[in-house]
Parts: sequence; C-alpha cells; structure tokens
Amino acid sequence: MSPRQVFQTLCRMCDDHCALNVYLEEGRVVDIDGYQGHPWNRGRLCSKGRAAVDLVYHPDRLWKPLKRTASGWQEIPLEQALDEIAERLRAIQQRYGERAVGVWKGEAVGFAQQEDLARRFIHAIGSPNYFSNDSLCFNGRWIGYSTVHGAWSVPDYEHARLVVLWGANPPHAHPNMTQMIMRARRRGARLVVLDPRLSAVARQADVHAPLAPGTDGALAWGLIQALLERGAYDRELVEGYSVGFPQLRAYAAAFTPQRVERETGVPAATLSRIAAAMAEASPAVVNYVGNGLEHHENGINNIRAVACLDALLGALDRKGGNRLAEGFPSNRLTLYRERPLTALSPIGAERFPVLYGMRRECHTMTAMDTILSGRPYPLKAMLLTAANPAMTNPNTEKVTRALGALELFVVRDLFLTETARLAHYVLPAASFLERSELHVHAMFQVVTLSRKLLSFPGVQDEYRFWHDLAHRLGAGAYFPWKDEEELTRWLLEPSGLSLERLAEHPEGWPYQPIRYEKWREQPLATPTGKVEFASRYLKDLGYPEIPEYRPPAYRSAPDPEYPFVLVTGARKLLFYHSRYQNIERFARAGRNPEMEMHPDDAARLGLADGEPVRVSSRVGTIQLPVTVTASNEILPGTVQITHGYRQANVNLLTPDDVFDPISGFPLLKALQVKVARADSAAAPG
Amino acid sequence: MRIVTMDPASCVACRNCEYACAFQQGRTFERRDSHIRVSFYPEDRVCIPGTCLHCEQPWCQEVCPAAAIRRDPVTGAVVIDAERCAGCKMCLLACPYGAIRFDSRARVARKCDLCGGDPQCVKFCISGALEFVEAEEAFAFRREGFDARLKELVSQARGGRR
Ligand code: SF4
Repeated sequence: MSPRQVFQTLCRMCDDHCALNVYLEEGRVVDIDGYQGHPWNRGRLCSKGRAAVDLVYHPDRLWKPLKRTASGWQEIPLEQALDEIAERLRAIQQRYGERAVGVWKGEAVGFAQQEDLARRFIHAIGSPNYFSNDSLCFNGRWIGYSTVHGAWSVPDYEHARLVVLWGANPPHAHPNMTQMIMRARRRGARLVVLDPRLSAVARQADVHAPLAPGTDGALAWGLIQALLERGAYDRELVEGYSVGFPQLRAYAAAFTPQRVERETGVPAATLSRIAAAMAEASPAVVNYVGNGLEHHENGINNIRAVACLDALLGALDRKGGNRLAEGFPSNRLTLYRERPLTALSPIGAERFPVLYGMRRECHTMTAMDTILSGRPYPLKAMLLTAANPAMTNPNTEKVTRALGALELFVVRDLFLTETARLAHYVLPAASFLERSELHVHAMFQVVTLSRKLLSFPGVQDEYRFWHDLAHRLGAGAYFPWKDEEELTRWLLEPSGLSLERLAEHPEGWPYQPIRYEKWREQPLATPTGKVEFASRYLKDLGYPEIPEYRPPAYRSAPDPEYPFVLVTGARKLLFYHSRYQNIERFARAGRNPEMEMHPDDAARLGLADGEPVRVSSRVGTIQLPVTVTASNEILPGTVQITHGYRQANVNLLTPDDVFDPISGFPLLKALQVKVARADSAAAPG
Repeated sequence: MRIVTMDPASCVACRNCEYACAFQQGRTFERRDSHIRVSFYPEDRVCIPGTCLHCEQPWCQEVCPAAAIRRDPVTGAVVIDAERCAGCKMCLLACPYGAIRFDSRARVARKCDLCGGDPQCVKFCISGALEFVEAEEAFAFRREGFDARLKELVSQARGGRR
C-alpha cells in the first residue's frame, strides 16, 4: 500500500468553509473528512465536502480551452486562447467604448479575494460593469441589515437563549450552523422557525410558524408592536443610540395580532407566544434571516423590520444576540478609490441606486436587457467565471438569448455548463483544492489559509487568469504579483501576520478577540452612526423612510388564472444551486427534481405522489414529478420547486421584471402559477 | 469501549449519516447500503436515528447458528463475519432495535462495525445528534441539557435574570 498523507485545508463546496482533512495517495486525493482542530466545524462535515473527490476527478471535467467554431468545439492551447480573447476585448473596447465589457463572478469561486480580483480587473481595464450572483443573493440581507445597523450582524449562537430563524434552513443551506443551533438548544435555548415549509431545521423547532410567503414583514411588525405594548424593549439602546423611534412606534400600532393573523396566517396566539419568548430571552436573542426573505417585492423592508426588532430587543452586538463582527485587516484589492468610474453609468446603478451605491454591484437582470437593446449603451463582451446564469438567473429564455447575443462571451468553469455552451471560449477553471486563499470566519473572528493541494497543467487559478489577461491588455501594473502566494502576502500586510505563520495554523488564527456592545464606544456604520429605524438615505432616494409593509401581489391582487403560489429555491443538502448534479452518487440519492405540494391540493387535482405535473406561470411552463408532502410540510396553496435542475429548470417560470425596488432582487419566492396533470387535456398549450 | 450515541432532540433527519455510512459500505449514497437509519415522522415532527448499540449480551450473537457474530477485541464492536454468515436472518429477528439489515445482493446479514473505531456517521453528522463517546459517559449530554434548564429555572426563581 502506498503511503497515505493527510493535509488540512478548507472546503469550498459551499460557502461554509469547513475545515477538512484531505487524504492523498501518490498525489491523488482519495478521501476527505472533517478536521477536528478547527473551531468552526469541530471535525464535522456534510456529504458535499467529501464529494469534492468526485468533483476534482470527474470524467466530464474540462482540461483544455475550447473555442467555438463553425464545426463545433475546438480544443486550443491556453496561450492562444488568452491571446485571442485579449485581442477581441481590445477591439470591442475600441469600437464601443471601455464599458462595453463586463465581468460576472459566480458563487462557485466564493467571495473575498476571488470577488475582489474580478472587481479589480474590470476597473483596471476601464469598465465599471462588475456583475455577480449577488444580484440575487446575500446583498438583499446585507442591505436590509446595513441600512438599520450599519452592517449585517452575525448570529452569536453559542450564547443565545432564543434562536429565531426567518426563512432559513441551515441543515441544507449552511449545514455547519446546525450544530451550533443544536448546541444552543442543548444548553436550554429555544428555537423558533418561520417558514411556509416544515424545513429540516423546523423538525426540531419549539415553535414552527408556517407563514404565507413574503409576509415576514407583517409578522416582524406584529412582534415589534407586541414588544412595545409590553414595554419590553431596550430603553438604553433605543433612547441613546437610535433614530426614528417615534415613527416606528406610530407605524407599528396598526399591527394588531388580528391583523397580523390575516396578513400572515400565523395565529394571534402564536404571535404572542413568540413575543413572550423574545421578551423573556432578551437580549440573548438571535434573529437569523435567510435567503427566503430576499426574493420578494417587499423583501428589503421585511428584512429591515426584522433588523429593527434586533435593536428593540437589545440584541444588537450583545452576547447571545446578533454581533457586529470585526473584519480582518487586509489590503484592499478593489479600485473604487483609485478608479471609481461612476461617471460611466454602471449598469443598473440608476435604476437600483442602493444596490450600486452600497455594494458597487451592477444588476444582472438589467444587463440582459442592455445586451439585447443596446440601451443605454452597448454591452458587447462578458467574462464570466464560476457562474451558471443560464440555470440560476430568472427568465432562462431571455438569459440564454442575451448571453447568446454577445460579441464575445468567455466562460471559466470546471464543466461545460448550460452557460458555457453559449460561450465563444470556455477555459478550464481550478477547483478549490487547486488554489490557496484567505478565509475569514467572522463569527469566530478567525482567519485561515487554505492550501493548494493539487495542480493540473493548463488549469489556471483565478489570480493567474486575471493577471495574464490584464498584462495582455496593458493593465499589468494592477496585477504586479507573480502568483497567488505573492498576492496573499500583500493582502496580509496590514495584519502583521506572515503567510508562514498562517500556514502553520490549520485551525485558524484568531485575529481579534470578540467584544460586545461596541456601539457604546464607536458610532455604527450608518449615516447617523446610530440604529436607524428610519433611514434618511432611503427617504432621499424616494423609498419609505421606515420599513413599511406591503403585502405580496398574490395576496393583494391575485390572478385567478394562476391560483397557486410558487416558492422557488429551497436548498437541497447534496446540491448547491446548479452544481453537483453531475455527481453520480448524488443524483441517485433521491427524487430530483420535484415539486412539493400539500396533500389536500394534490387530492383536489387528483395527483398521486410521483406523477408528472405541468407548472405554468405567465413566463413559461415546465414539467416534473410532484412530491406529495405530509399535511404539515408545506402550506396548502403553496408549492415549492428547487432551482438548478436541467431536466426541469424552474427559472423558465420566473419573471425578470418584478423586483424589490430597493435591492433590485427578483421575485422568486411568491410567484403565481397554475398546476395541472402533465397528461391532462386541460393542460395549457 | 466507545459507542455511537444518538440524540433525537438534535437530529434534523438530514441523512448525512446515512450517506456517510453508505459511502463507507459501498461507495454509494444510497440509503439501502447504510447501517444507520434515520426515521422521520413529519406529522409528529420526530426524527429518530437508529444504529447498533453493541449490547453487552448481544441477542443477535446468541441466536446466530453459524457463530458468525463476535465482539471485536479492539473496538468492542459486535461484528458479523460475512464469510461465516449463512444468511438465515435470525439475527434480524432477534435484534430489538432493528439495527441489522439483510443485503440481498450478497445474501448475508450486515450491521454497524463502528468503522473499525472511526465511525463515519458521527464525522458527517452536522447537527451533533451523533457522538462517539465512552459508554460510561454516554448520554451525559442529557444531564447537561437538563442541568442547564434547571439552573435557569432556579436562578429565575431567585430573581436573577441571566
Ligand atoms: S457545509 Fe458541506 S459543502 Fe459546505 S463547507 Fe461544510 S463540508 Fe463543505
């Protein structure tokens, strides 16, 4: 038997960054399990982490650049591909202007330094058009929380006495959070789960309140009112460190338990039970908001209302509440100070000034329209890395048309995805085991260096790719570092930590001891430096000053032709958005894809579990099997389809013209649809 | 010896343990290959993980006519010797927890062997419901949880809030 070596690194199969033991034999990864030493996951791992082995050596993995030709894909050498891409980029920028080129960074390479490299590159070549998966994930919560607290606080599960999960299902979406929540419960904390579905985590909830999709804001206001009525709010925080309390109090008054019950379907008694639990446990209350609140017409204000609740409870930056994490001091890769380029009208900045203003994020849905219309200016080339918008952005039909209309479309990926098939050039990308980078676990204020364990000839890491292209385009001065290692050394400079020191600590380096109640000494990062129940910034942009509640359209203006409300995007344990569907072992592990439906609805339509159904919205139609759930697993009238399945892509149904007005996030979790048996004569044509 | 403890109050029936076990047994992620099984009863919102407890007086061992079941001297696990197993299924009948399954392809009985002392189900349990602990300390977490609640009640009764 050949000697087996073990190395520690961090997993990037999802965004949880669990610490791994990677076992190698003769330079080949043979197995992966959890590394005990890291405080984050304490040796535990989800099944995706182990399947990195399958991913790295997948028979369909791309190893050579592909160029689209009249007679199909042609393999070409890497240097030639980069030369040709640079040449065509230069020509497009000369002809249509610098801003005619965009980059699009996907979830699969993560955030932090990989994101900032893409941001740096596009500004270095003179265009402000940075796009990413964050046009429909994360930013909504970040914006909602930041307008109130100045940051998106992190849950302090370890000390919480009450955990309230809003539209979040950690076992499937952030698997490692599960053990933290369950540890808190073992110490006596209560768990409240607010979700139209009985999600995996709801199975252990002390209270599971299935509320109508998109009505979370009404529930949050109801809780605010209940706390105010009891006088159960943190006077010190509210009186000394907030603005807008009178407006908050006045608006909350209308949210009686009866009204909240009408809006949300949550019984008045449940509301008071949750309010009582909050008052009792305060300030050690974690409110954690998941992706479930972002994809709604009133998403941001619903999230803001929850953030207001945090402040009332005194949970903001208190032990066991929602903590303001302190960042790791590193050098900044982005060029927003050096080359802001805002005068070049970044795409979406005018329509969604908050998304651009707070996040420097261009809007991918607007980009599709821009590509197709050439207005307000031509967008002709896109460099896309680690994203699959042809599966994950709304309105697949339009996305496919738009990306297919680009003059130059370059995709970096491990596989020939639906998106890559639309490209002119597809470049083989490195997996997370083929790069080294800094990872920050903000919850513990620990920084860890992941380790490059594998390399394959012709497969570039992200840095090498941007570096090589920038040098070809005369922007080499912005990419002076020889390789990823040199870059990381530079990033580390302000921290005083050396690369060597970090490499010796696979268990991570605590960069800053955890402190609470920092708002006493330093202003919050809001415009007023205080908790903003009312936001002048939003008001000046024409939005409601306080997080007003608006019911979702399916409730305020229901369309009788589309009687069901479709929630999309509930996570599955073994898949991450459109990824890992090609892992054989995973594909065989359950029914994929499926539409979840309440048994009463199924009975009414005469549907048995597993039968094929046609689901139609005003955008499109798909067909897939129905899974008839237990009667408490989903609300009647609501159906759920997870995204990312090529056999039944739910984004063929989702509209790309209904948005949250503040974040520009698309409506993905409360769509009006109709459902029929697939073989029914009444099926739509 | 160390055993796998299971806490139904922490289990979310995510099935990572089943996947990990199936992977160990047959490099698949298929439930039928797993020695640990999680039962989920949605209407009652109850999740119950179940695997072998490696009894001190194993009923399966006592009933086995082929003497194929023995205790591993190193790990203390009750293990089946697939070579000796005659496929009679008596052990399946005897086990009060239903922890033994029949592999109809190989036509032998199969059960947990604690992965030779490094149980995979525990390493892939994301909720912490499974732990691999000394039998003497097993279920200490129950006491800790109970203590925590009691402590809180007592301190509240004494007028302390936190
Ligand atoms: S939760 Fe799973 S996929 Fe995500 S980082 Fe941890 S082991 Fe990897």
